Amino acid sequence: MLDLVRGFLLLVGIFLLGTFLHERGVPIPGSVLGLLLLYGALLSGMVKLSWVEKAAGLLLRHMVLLFVPVTVGLIDVGGVVSRSAIAIAASLLVSFLAVLLTTGMLGQRLLARKASAEHLS
Amino acid sequence: MRPMLQHPVFSIALTFVFYAAAQMLHRRWRALPPIVLACVPIIVFLLLLHEPYRNYNRGGSVLTWCLGPATVALAVPMYRNSMPLRSSLPRLAMVVLAGALVGMVTAGGTAWLLGAPRDVVMSAVPKSVTTPIAIEVSRQLNGIPQITIAMVIGAGVLGSSVGRSLLKVAGVRDDRAIGAAMGTSAHGIGTASLVRHSEMQTTVSSWAMAAAGVFTSLLGTLLAWIMR
Repeated sequence: MLDLVRGFLLLVGIFLLGTFLHERGVPIPGSVLGLLLLYGALLSGMVKLSWVEKAAGLLLRHMVLLFVPVTVGLIDVGGVVSRSAIAIAASLLVSFLAVLLTTGMLGQRLLARKASAEHLS
Repeated sequence: MRPMLQHPVFSIALTFVFYAAAQMLHRRWRALPPIVLACVPIIVFLLLLHEPYRNYNRGGSVLTWCLGPATVALAVPMYRNSMPLRSSLPRLAMVVLAGALVGMVTAGGTAWLLGAPRDVVMSAVPKSVTTPIAIEVSRQLNGIPQITIAMVIGAGVLGSSVGRSLLKVAGVRDDRAIGAAMGTSAHGIGTASLVRHSEMQTTVSSWAMAAAGVFTSLLGTLLAWIMR
């Protein structure tokens, strides 16, 4: 339980720090800045994985709960959505295929070749 | 009844209850993601009671705020999964960066070509990445976050249902390439669909999902700055 509290305090603290830096002129959004700060702190060993592991796991497992309220806001934009429904659907499909295939095929070339090279050496 | 309905704590409780119910239903209907199962009844509920969204959102915004710390928490899977990938991380990062860029350009470009208004085009741009980051990028670009979320969910569902088969047809067989493609194109929902297939795919996908979010946010910040 204390683990969780410590983890939450740390995550909220880092988020607030990121937001503070963002307000002071760093253009990256506070939450992503916080993500990068925590990633750096974990890599450098300043923050131990065990301090944040439990709280982070809980937040990420139930992240869907956290974006329910914004999604319910679709109520207010129904008009815009139905007017652009075809553009939205096409954009979703085209872009999904483009990302999946470029990343997959580029990955196949760049990442798989390396594995076989390792295998040979 | 009215004053109680309008109290912030009520809408938070309502959201918790429908979320819990959605999780249970999701165990039966794997095809429908919990977010759809949770939101549809809440929307119906609000419409039936003629309750405006802004009243519901007084409590709802508290939950939305928590997306900030949840985004920070993404550093944990990113860190944990970067350990077994150490030597291929730079190349993996390049692949994910390319995917993130392609995603933003094709999503915005397609919507623009089809004559969608500017705010809809901007809502489409971050549609490949994990929800909290996508919302943030959508806001930065003056998009409509609700539309962005709907598209993010769409991408996740597409990825988890047809992603692996499409990659197979395209000749993508390497576990790391599959993971990178699924994490970059279908974020958390796509990653979750890999768990029962391969540990390596899941590891790469988890890392790629967080990295794609970071790259998209950085590119989005750049785009917002250019369009200023």
